[in-house]
Amino acid sequence: MKNLTNSLLLLLVVFGFSSYAQTGQSKYEMGVKKGLQMVGAAQTADDYLKTSNYFERIAQVETKEWLPPYYAAYGNLHAGLSTNNKVLQDQYFDLALVQIADAETRDAENSEIYALKGYIQFMKMSVDPQSRLSMIGDATASLARAETLNPENPRIYLINGQNTFYTPEAFGGGKKKAKPILENAVAKFAIFKPATEIVPAWGAARAKALLAQCN
Amino acid sequence: MKSLLVLLLLVIFNFTLVQAQTKISGVLKSTKGTPVTNANILLKNTYDGTSTDSLGRFTFSTMELGVQTLQFSALNFETDSVRLDLQSNDVILNLKMKPSINLLETVSISAGYMNTGDGKKGAVLTALDIATTAGSDADVFTAQQTLPGAQTSFSESGLFVRGGSASETKTYFDGMLLKNPFNATVPDQASRGRLSAFLFKGTSFSAGGYSAQYGQALSSALILESTDLPKKTTTGISVLSVGGGIDQNIRFKNSALSIGAAYYNLAPTYRVTKQQNNFIKAPEQISGSIQYKHKTSETGMFKFYATYGETTLALYQDNIDLPAVPRYFSNDNNNIYINSTYKEFLNSRWKLDAGFSFNKDKDGGSLSADLYSRTDKLTNGKITFTNYFGKLSNLKFGAETFHTGRTEGMNGLTRGYDDQISSAFVETDLFLTENLVLRVGARGEYSSYLEKYNLAPRTSLGLKTGTNAQVSFAYGRFYQNPEDEYLILKRLDFEVADHYILKYEINTADQNFRIEGYYKDYNHLTKENGGTHDNSGTGYARGVELFWKDKKTIKNGNYYISYSFLDTKRNFRDFPTLATPSFAAKHTASVVYKQFFEALQTQAGATYTFASGRPYLNPNNAVYLGDRTKSFNSLSLTFSHLTTVFKQFAVLYLNANNVTGFNNVYGYAYSQDGLSRRATLPSSKRSLVVGILLTIGDNTFVR
Repeated sequence: MKNLTNSLLLLLVVFGFSSYAQTGQSKYEMGVKKGLQMVGAAQTADDYLKTSNYFERIAQVETKEWLPPYYAAYGNLHAGLSTNNKVLQDQYFDLALVQIADAETRDAENSEIYALKGYIQFMKMSVDPQSRLSMIGDATASLARAETLNPENPRIYLINGQNTFYTPEAFGGGKKKAKPILENAVAKFAIFKPATEIVPAWGAARAKALLAQCN
Repeated sequence: MKSLLVLLLLVIFNFTLVQAQTKISGVLKSTKGTPVTNANILLKNTYDGTSTDSLGRFTFSTMELGVQTLQFSALNFETDSVRLDLQSNDVILNLKMKPSINLLETVSISAGYMNTGDGKKGAVLTALDIATTAGSDADVFTAQQTLPGAQTSFSESGLFVRGGSASETKTYFDGMLLKNPFNATVPDQASRGRLSAFLFKGTSFSAGGYSAQYGQALSSALILESTDLPKKTTTGISVLSVGGGIDQNIRFKNSALSIGAAYYNLAPTYRVTKQQNNFIKAPEQISGSIQYKHKTSETGMFKFYATYGETTLALYQDNIDLPAVPRYFSNDNNNIYINSTYKEFLNSRWKLDAGFSFNKDKDGGSLSADLYSRTDKLTNGKITFTNYFGKLSNLKFGAETFHTGRTEGMNGLTRGYDDQISSAFVETDLFLTENLVLRVGARGEYSSYLEKYNLAPRTSLGLKTGTNAQVSFAYGRFYQNPEDEYLILKRLDFEVADHYILKYEINTADQNFRIEGYYKDYNHLTKENGGTHDNSGTGYARGVELFWKDKKTIKNGNYYISYSFLDTKRNFRDFPTLATPSFAAKHTASVVYKQFFEALQTQAGATYTFASGRPYLNPNNAVYLGDRTKSFNSLSLTFSHLTTVFKQFAVLYLNANNVTGFNNVYGYAYSQDGLSRRATLPSSKRSLVVGILLTIGDNTFVR
């Protein structure tokens, strides 16, 4: 009886512990996954702000993980892209820059973080290009850093191609120049395998769509 | 048995954990009662939380128990929290949060300052703004002449602001007074600024009522703020019809070194465009500069800039008294300028700014048969401490010293003077609320040469009257030493001006409107009295200025319109009576328009300037300065075409001044007998500069 109880207890403890360990790990992973589903379903600026809030909640618990502030920044970036109000755009992009800087303090050598940073900086510039042209340089520098850290990250080329696509030809942009960059992006997306289910994997469809517009 | 008990407890405990869900719901409103949407509601250190909906409502569940912190945050609000003791009963909350301070919507010190742009408190004209302003030829000073308060001038270097002479506008490079910002003097011609617009991230122009930090300026302050670290290592090459330059920027991790050289020669241009003066040697200039910037910490920056230039020119000027003997004038000028500054936050509340600058400008040559020489110098040291308190307020205090003077010689005889001006200043920007700011300050100076003290109170008030509207008022007293040409003759007294300014403005993200009225009272101006000089001169200036800038209406384009009305009279220098000086036009208006043509990859700009006639001295008219020239009109165009040359980024640049060929006259000089006169004209009727600017090592246009 005692043996049985002990065995049962052991089983329960082991099971409980392993399940606890699993939930401990999966609580974070599941949390991020749930957030990514919200991002996938988001359509309006409000939707994106809610995803950003969601990831901020995770970020304040998981203080060592870079993904929560990364996705929080991603949410604010898209909230800005989903509104026409320039004042709001500026505020969302500013918040996104703060959040991506937070991600940077958590993981200073991460290609994904600098890629997204370059994206946000470019969009911040494009709110008022006439007086913010110099921010193109910031965006370019971030993307260059991302490329140094991991040249196989396809999002660098997507963002770079997209920035080029939307920069007037006169300023070194245009469809013609964007095309080879986006082709490279599509090629890199084809071979890109995300390390886990929760690391950044967005952009393949966007790269294809933009490339199609170049032709 | 004990084990069984533990087992049982464990199961029960697990069971309770699942059971104890608490529902937290409520409404979040601002302290003004409006719902706060998209706020983030969370239980600290848990994943639990939600966002508020469009009515500020929220609902979420948690399994946490005991004392927890519920935090709520939202854009433009101050993050706040409440403590909750969760006992598995549903909680309903009525939360309020305070709007946070949005710097863009906060009242600012504004009277006298030109805010045309983006950064409300920052740059007014960026380097790019200046370079793309038609008619400016990328000159810092010429571009400012399109702003309200400034006169158009082409026969004397400098900015004439609100009835003040050119010597009453002072230029500050990173807070340090710059005594000779202009290129070598040519008689009856305005010289360009010596410093390239591209050295600066922004220039702001104050037409009065400026801070106690700035001394020795009676009428106006032009504040130049240098750029920070360049982003990349690049080489820049410019080839213009008037010369060219090359510079190399080398970027290190936390610092950057820039070395540049330039050569200008106006001879080819002068062969094409007819010049007013008969040049024997067209101005030729060679200069070099070195710049080092070091980011000493996250908040610290050290900057060093030094430049040296040499200019030579010679010409014959018509002699109205003896037409057969034109006046010969030559000038060999050299100029050295050093500026070094350091700034750092000592902690989160205290900031230190320190600076040193040195400027020496030497002219020498022949004036008809006489040999002349002139050396101007200024050494400036300054230290400022800023204490930030409250949410927005600050207190500044500092000390400054100027060692200034001039030496001049004529045919071997020399004379000169030296002055040591010591000064201290204190000033606070006190935000009584987010909508009301009060600046109170004072500046005291002692001049060793004049052996006199002065104390100048300055105050400015800003009141926000709507989301985008503000009313401002400023009063200030401003002292300045008389000009060198008088000081070298005699110890005089400080000249003094009192400024009263009232301003109303509406600023949105892409449109700005302002109307500003002012009254200025001048006293102790230097005056010639029977062959000697004293400080008995007086004067006044009053006026109204309008400004409208619109970046919204025209796609890829923007324009601004400025208008200045000026009523001023002075009795100074050799005036026998109170009269409007020759540099003051009653009405001045400018329209500056810029348009980017995407298909042509070209930025085009047009500037139209109008000024009503200026007074000139006609000895045949009993009324002193009673005659007026005809009005001034000028239409200038500029084009910048962006392209690539040898696969490098390039800008093809063209600027054409006075394209329609208006005949403009600044005034007249009369012969001693008063029978003949000579018009003071622009150096040429029209002028044209073309060139190419290449950037190597960067794939974007901006360096």
